[in-house]
Amino acid sequence: MLPILFAEAFNWTNLQQQCITGLTSGALIALIALGYTMVYGIVELINFAHGDLFMLGSCLALTIFTAFGLAQPGAIDSASNVTILLAIACCLVAVPIFCAGLNRSVDYVVYRPLRTAPRLAPLVSAIGVSFIFMNIGLFWVGPQDVNFPDVIQDRNLLGDDANLRFTLKNLLVVGVTVPLMIALTVFVKFTSLGKAMRATAQNPTAARLMGINTEFVIGTTFLVGGALAGFGSVVYALYVNTISYQMGFQNGLYAFTAAVLGGIGNIPGAVLGGLVIGLVQALGTAYIGATWTSAIVFAVLIVILVFRPSGLLGARVREKV
Amino acid sequence: MAAILTIDKLRAGYGPIDALHDVSLTVEAGEIVAMIGANGAGKTSTLMSVSGVLKARAGSIRFQGQDIAKLPAHQIVKLGLAQSPEGRKIFPRLTVLENLQMGAFTRNDAPGIAADIEKAFAMFPILKERRGQAGGLLSGGQQQMLAIARALMARPKLLMLDEPSLGLAPQIVVQIFDVIKDLNKAGMSILLVEQNARMALRVAHRGYVLETGRVTMSDAADKLLVDPRVRAAYLGE
Repeated sequence: MLPILFAEAFNWTNLQQQCITGLTSGALIALIALGYTMVYGIVELINFAHGDLFMLGSCLALTIFTAFGLAQPGAIDSASNVTILLAIACCLVAVPIFCAGLNRSVDYVVYRPLRTAPRLAPLVSAIGVSFIFMNIGLFWVGPQDVNFPDVIQDRNLLGDDANLRFTLKNLLVVGVTVPLMIALTVFVKFTSLGKAMRATAQNPTAARLMGINTEFVIGTTFLVGGALAGFGSVVYALYVNTISYQMGFQNGLYAFTAAVLGGIGNIPGAVLGGLVIGLVQALGTAYIGATWTSAIVFAVLIVILVFRPSGLLGARVREKV
Repeated sequence: MAAILTIDKLRAGYGPIDALHDVSLTVEAGEIVAMIGANGAGKTSTLMSVSGVLKARAGSIRFQGQDIAKLPAHQIVKLGLAQSPEGRKIFPRLTVLENLQMGAFTRNDAPGIAADIEKAFAMFPILKERRGQAGGLLSGGQQQMLAIARALMARPKLLMLDEPSLGLAPQIVVQIFDVIKDLNKAGMSILLVEQNARMALRVAHRGYVLETGRVTMSDAADKLLVDPRVRAAYLGE
């Protein structure tokens, strides 16, 4: 047993392969983590419903694929590429809009009235919203795991006889997540609304004194975070090909962990945290065993937080009072 | 002279407690008005009510004739009323330049904003030197300069300054008060809140004394400076 383990551990190609897998799922986790971290940054609320929002996005994606007639067994083989591309495009437009709108509405109806209430009140409400979402998901797709149409070929883009595999699916994940993260960074760093978002996160009272409509900014944050979860949910469904009403819990938990790991409230931190967790997941599964994956991920979280309590990139600038 | 700001019987507070009881106060155009008083007298609450951050429970606040007591904070800035708040409230992780840009958030004239940023840098050269640094890394005095410059970026008609001398070295306080005088000479109306009553009354035209949420005295600043009660309570004599 031990020699096999070692042989595996020093297999360079295998390590590289695990890194590709890890970074791919890490990019997905990061996309969800951004929604946690942005909302926390601006209203100091851990939005526990965020993972379930992501789940509902996948449910809508499935409904859209069903509407295009792609969900029945064997339908994909007979479907034209145009139909498939159209269905994907439709998902990438409709699902983010749906998730953004839903997230914004929940903020307006549930969290906004509690803005000045003690911190625990919106937190418990978020847990409540999480359960409501999960039950909607249960009603929507049923209690079992549901196959999501496997429309993207698993062809190796590095050539059929290459040792490493980087498939069209990996490319899809990277091709959607990376531009979104770049767009978000540009938005937050350079646009007037993005700067207002950072200002509101750093000092809401001062932001109001600048003439910033902070409620509008908070609403926009929920919109953006929701849209990112929406994009993530479509890509996840196409990548993993299984969805269930419970998927929001585990993915949300990993994403939340990523946000804390990177330094909650910090946008590059969420991306870094997501990638680290994806890597730890993949390497842990490959070298230690899938049974231990969650344990390893959270052990890493604990170790990092012991040495850097504010996360990898958290609180770089100390405030002078 | 016409009144630019008229506060009439303002009542406001936090939770079940009223911090202000029927506060009335006027700022004429082109005037510096000082509001002095002890900690908790209601000075900051008054400014926050004018800015719309603290909602007025009763009374009226008229700015250039318009009642602004019910307007949300972000619309009040647009009318030409800016505040440099107590404790400065700089955005710690925005750069100095971005802090200034936030001050101009309600404006759309990019060339005008760029020109005003240059003006701010001319007024406080140290801010130009540190334009790319995070606001939280500035010293207390530099943060105060930034807070004033940031408020000016809104091109206000009335500038409200809350404790601009708080926690600063004496020579910096002198520098800040020189700026306040210069701004006023250029036509800016200023409502100044200070615990440093002597400094405040020296630059101001008129003054109000607040005690536990009520205006207890109001007079020309030079008269308040020699008033025995003010001297005993606020000038340490």
